[in-house]
Amino acid sequence: MAGNPNSGKTTVFNNLTGARQHVGNWPGVTVEKKEGICRWKSHNIRIVDLPGVYGLTAYSPDEIVARNFIVEEKPDAVVDVVDASNLERNLYLVVQLLEMGARLIVALNMMDEAASRGYRIDAEGLSHLIGAPVVPMQANRNRGTLELLDEIAKVVNREMQIPQLIVNYGREVEEEIAKLERHISAAGELARKYPPRWLAVKLLERDQQIVEALQTSEHG
Amino acid sequence: MESIFGDECETVIADARYGFVAGLLKDIVRKPPLERVTLSDQIDMLVISRWLGLPLLLVVMYLTFQFVFRLSEPLMNWISLVFGQLGVIASGIGGWEGSLLAEGVIGGIGSVLIFVPPIFLLFAAISVLEDCGYMARAAFVTDKVMHKIGLHGRSFIPLVLGFGCNVPGVMATRTIENTKDRITTILVNPFMSCGARLPIYVLLAGYFFAGHAGLVVFSMYAVGAAVAMLMALAFRKSILRGTSSHFVMELPPYRLPTLRGILTHVWERGRLFLKKAGTFIFGVVVLIWLVDYFGALEPVGRAIAPIFVPCGFGQWEAAVSLMFGFLAKEVVVGTMGTLFAAEEGVLGQAIATHLGWTPLAALAFMVFCVLYVPCIATVATIKSETNSWKWPVFTVLYTTATAWVAATLIFQIGGLLLG
Repeated sequence: MAGNPNSGKTTVFNNLTGARQHVGNWPGVTVEKKEGICRWKSHNIRIVDLPGVYGLTAYSPDEIVARNFIVEEKPDAVVDVVDASNLERNLYLVVQLLEMGARLIVALNMMDEAASRGYRIDAEGLSHLIGAPVVPMQANRNRGTLELLDEIAKVVNREMQIPQLIVNYGREVEEEIAKLERHISAAGELARKYPPRWLAVKLLERDQQIVEALQTSEHG
Repeated sequence: MESIFGDECETVIADARYGFVAGLLKDIVRKPPLERVTLSDQIDMLVISRWLGLPLLLVVMYLTFQFVFRLSEPLMNWISLVFGQLGVIASGIGGWEGSLLAEGVIGGIGSVLIFVPPIFLLFAAISVLEDCGYMARAAFVTDKVMHKIGLHGRSFIPLVLGFGCNVPGVMATRTIENTKDRITTILVNPFMSCGARLPIYVLLAGYFFAGHAGLVVFSMYAVGAAVAMLMALAFRKSILRGTSSHFVMELPPYRLPTLRGILTHVWERGRLFLKKAGTFIFGVVVLIWLVDYFGALEPVGRAIAPIFVPCGFGQWEAAVSLMFGFLAKEVVVGTMGTLFAAEEGVLGQAIATHLGWTPLAALAFMVFCVLYVPCIATVATIKSETNSWKWPVFTVLYTTATAWVAATLIFQIGGLLLG
């Protein structure tokens, strides 16, 4: 479960897991880790509530925790809770998650608030454009939870493939990405864990953690 | 590669991503022809306005404290009454068993449970302010003031939480991204007088400053907050040098808080207190009873007491109370109660007769309690939150030194003034 702060992520998490929650810390850092179990049609779904973040850079412990979990634990599905009344900023995270190759489901929360501001959002159109399921929700009224679970089940059971999103960064950057990607693919271990294109983009963003990880994997 | 793009590379990538998002939005969202001014925006015109913002914040804070203390007072009286009665029944058993049950067990549980109403109500009030979106505004409004002491708006909420309990206060600094900002906010948090220290002020101000008790209690909070600001400023000029970071603060729309959300928050924070109360504080109170029963308290107290002579409270009973206060601040009053075998109602009188305190000595003692070493749970939290021993040890030393200097100044200068 990922999402921006104030997107209603925790409410969705509570709706899914009820009282079956466990609170702890992520190893090594002081970021709270919440886990819960959700029973759904003979499935036992383990849900991990990631810290609320705006992006997936290496600037804050929260963002590092969120992205490392997605890359390293390879969850069967990632639900990004999106505040429909603040779409622009929230979609920025959606785009980054899809670029990482996360098996993403967008929970389009706070549809009522968006509507009260006069926004009309085409959820199906969004799903079509990004290639991931989009579920309109109103978590504070517990609306859309069952639909969300249906989509989670589909993605978890591999009934639906979520393609890695490719954002076009323009000719110059794309040339650099291509060069780096070839170099990274040859570097071995790290490239099997992370999508090479994502690593290349992160290198161009001068992401400290990825730069260091690549250096050690090359020397070791 | 970097030479081609220079510093712009990250920007180019972020721009492209935002461009992609903008494209998406164009395809899927239809906005009203004229962006309506939302209710949230209208409220914000008042709440975060340059002139009304800070006064309104002070009013909100004042009402919050009124709500918490007014509402918890009858509940606290009721709990005190129930445990008083239970104690009377238990001491009827007689012998050491009766004493252990009455003064140790029942007195111990009672002295902790009595703080459940104010602490839970404070957490509830803070949750309401957080969930409705006001806390984010409070951070925004205080940002400018906080910059003057080298912090910024995000430090505000952890400091306010400190009034409830410093443990969640220290934990709430997690939202502060800059390490130096965060450490500074953690280091000064113990000066925000937590709920556990309140009974000390209530007891001493109620007896020694009868008629002005409210003012004296309030000024204790003010002293704590003022020292916190001074220290923050000092740290930013010395060991944590640097300018406070600037950032874009998010103002989420106002929302009606849900009862469930508030209850969840209160429980998440309050359960920490209950856990501490059920295990740690209770154990300490029983331990004090035991040590006292075997007559070992006095020698320890007499060994430490001389340190506090310049502060005006150099009696061994005071030293013992303060020492146990390190385990949990709730225990300071409880220890005195055990030592003088006095009920809450007559404890002030007992302190005056046994220790011979003047109002000035009581004032110095209260100020010492505001400032001196945070309780062990807070120290442990500082250790785990900073991932080092350096900062918790430093906190213990510098807060206690500050408290000693402040209490001594008050007692000595006050003594000169009063002749």
